[in-house]
Amino acid sequence: MEGKKVLMTGNQAIARGFYEAGGLVAASYPGSPAVEILESIKREYRQIYSEFSVNEKVALEVAMGASFAGARALASMKHVGVNIAMDPLMTFTQTKTAGGFVLVSGDDPGMASSQNEQDNRIIGKFANMAVLDPCDSQEAKDFTKISLELSETYGMPVMLRITSRLCHSRGIVELLDREEKPAEGFKPDKTNFNMIPPNTFKKQFEMKERLESLSKAAMDLGINRLEKGNGSEVLIITSGLVYNNLMELNLDMPVLKLGLVYPLPLDAIRSLASDYRRLIVIEEMSPFIENELKINGIECEGKSYFSFTGELGIEEIEAGLLRAGIFEESRYSGKMGEDKSVPPRLPLFCAGCPHRPVFDILKKSGRKVVGDIGCYSLAGIFPIEVLDTIISMGSSLGIIKGMAKAMKLSGKSEPLVAVIGDSTFFHSGMTGMVNMLHQIDPEDNMTIVILNNGTTAMTGGQHTASSGSYASEDDMHVDLEVLLRAMGFENVRSVDQFKYKEAKEAIDEEIKRPGLSIVIATRPCALRFKIREPHFYVDPNVCIACRNCIRTNCPPLRMKKYEGIEKLKSSINPEMCVGCSVCSQVCPVGAIKRADGEVE
Amino acid sequence: MMKAYNIMLAGVGGQGLVLTTSIICSAAFYAGYDVKSNDIIGLSQRGGKVWGSVRLGEKIYSPNIPPGDADFLVALEPLEADRWKGSLKKEGILIVNTGEIAPAHVAAEKAEYPADIIERLSTSYRLYAIDAASEGKKLGSAKVANLFLIGVLANHMEIPIEAWHAAIRENVPAGFIDMNIRAFDIGYEMHDQRE
Repeated sequence: MEGKKVLMTGNQAIARGFYEAGGLVAASYPGSPAVEILESIKREYRQIYSEFSVNEKVALEVAMGASFAGARALASMKHVGVNIAMDPLMTFTQTKTAGGFVLVSGDDPGMASSQNEQDNRIIGKFANMAVLDPCDSQEAKDFTKISLELSETYGMPVMLRITSRLCHSRGIVELLDREEKPAEGFKPDKTNFNMIPPNTFKKQFEMKERLESLSKAAMDLGINRLEKGNGSEVLIITSGLVYNNLMELNLDMPVLKLGLVYPLPLDAIRSLASDYRRLIVIEEMSPFIENELKINGIECEGKSYFSFTGELGIEEIEAGLLRAGIFEESRYSGKMGEDKSVPPRLPLFCAGCPHRPVFDILKKSGRKVVGDIGCYSLAGIFPIEVLDTIISMGSSLGIIKGMAKAMKLSGKSEPLVAVIGDSTFFHSGMTGMVNMLHQIDPEDNMTIVILNNGTTAMTGGQHTASSGSYASEDDMHVDLEVLLRAMGFENVRSVDQFKYKEAKEAIDEEIKRPGLSIVIATRPCALRFKIREPHFYVDPNVCIACRNCIRTNCPPLRMKKYEGIEKLKSSINPEMCVGCSVCSQVCPVGAIKRADGEVE
Repeated sequence: MMKAYNIMLAGVGGQGLVLTTSIICSAAFYAGYDVKSNDIIGLSQRGGKVWGSVRLGEKIYSPNIPPGDADFLVALEPLEADRWKGSLKKEGILIVNTGEIAPAHVAAEKAEYPADIIERLSTSYRLYAIDAASEGKKLGSAKVANLFLIGVLANHMEIPIEAWHAAIRENVPAGFIDMNIRAFDIGYEMHDQRE
């Protein structure tokens, strides 16, 4: 194995790095762009205990416990997931780590699959952690190992900050053998692990000192390097994938490539700065490095030439350097990649998706709907457009309550609906659900629809605490209805949303009923638990072109021209139809019929 | 000196763009190239526009292809070919699967699906159009559609056919290797550019 080269995504390379470093415990909650790290560990490296925990806070705690016990540990999550884990993280970083600990934060400049674009280098600094920023798959692997070593050398949790583009980019990686690192067991040290005063006072100084000593050693780690170009008066400072994009411009200018972006090697940069007339920092999202340099008295420029949001590709870097007056000729300006005049193509629910009938029912109800994070967030965009708010995982249950209370106090009460998926419910919805019981008013009309599809569908079908209800191989089987009743809720009912009329009656009835009701939709995810029923077809002679079926937004449905019929009539692409029958149930005239027999 | 190539890929979420990218990467890797690639991943992209890139050469830094720098655009759907045509070099080659997938705006009759995409693009680029799903069904499954396109691509590149076959074997499910290799071979011969 040693020395063998393979192709890996950045995510796979991090999993490999953790394996090679002798990692023992890894935990995560699924979230793009970092979800594949744990999937890869689960699939390839069975020596490592790994789990998709119920949320990121728990994942961080599991990995933290492993580190306390002397094991090398990893917690991975998307950028907003770190927010959920912040509470234990901020205190964990005060302790002195035993086994190496790396927190992988998958940032998403450009928001390819996220609700915001936060720059978690800032969280790393806020939490007094070292932050590493790799530039390709090989570095992603190497930096995972370096993170664990630094964590042990300096006694601090380390953040490996990656971006979506790097997570999903493939590159060549050299494999090395695993180095076994048995856990030494938990060595009690109350002054280090019991983070209450007076133990915590000393820790504030320790955090500062370890960062200072790391800053001094930073240039010797071999991950910050100066690449000398020919005779320029300008030094470019950059890191991560932005460095590789910059290299494509073939500029022959001096570049300081930072692998460690916090703490910065300030003394080294200060002394370098005296050799150059200008320092230009190129970084995605916030001016993090630029601000660090400026508040430490090192003059530099940066964000004034580059976008504060989105990715910095090759052409954006060229344009910024052009604005900075570094050179005059442009290779890429004025060229268009994506043609914006072509009709848009938005993501949509799969054929046979069990969310479709639920949102069709909610749309027809005309009620305001509080949304949440999951595949069902797609009900917020064209053409369904049912969701009125989407903020963060699990927030719908708190939000609907606040909204109901405020509207009541203003004399504007109306029935409200909130939707939440099962993974999201277990992630951070449960506490909001319990909170519903506090000062509950029988007149606050709230209907909660739990979309229990048995999986974390958004990120590709990882398990949830209720997956056991749908898949016998899964070891978690929390019965939602039993749980809700045990919490103290009475109006709980389950519906089969593929029995459209019954489901509609039930949901409409609960929306009408004063007080709080909970409806659990029970059909599983169409992608993970495939439906294979005979497909449906439209009889154009019966179809009245009312478009009720089209409005369910199912991918195989489209209006088309039939021979000998003047008006456009509905049609179903048999290749795409999985036979869920929802379109035939919303058809008022029975024009949509099931084809006999043939199932692929 | 190895010839460097920039390959842009575009399609609809769920069409197998990630696997397609992966096969091209593996073939380049087996042929001894440095290679980097990009994909848009995430189930939330299902049914939405997705794109990717593969770059190969002696030394590759970035997986990104700047606008107007692609040698090839492999489009799994015509509208997506239209969307990403600007990524191609002037003399670039466009390989398109002609099977149309209507976006939500078209299904909802808020936008028209352009009727003349293939003809229009063929006047500006060297274009190879294949009804890949129908070709695939002749072999037994529409799921091998993308392999015809990879075959056409391979015919224009200096990568030995053995490297392509090895890449397919590595990336597709064991039971479907033969069918995928046949689809690739048909694509390879379909528009033979060799002297």
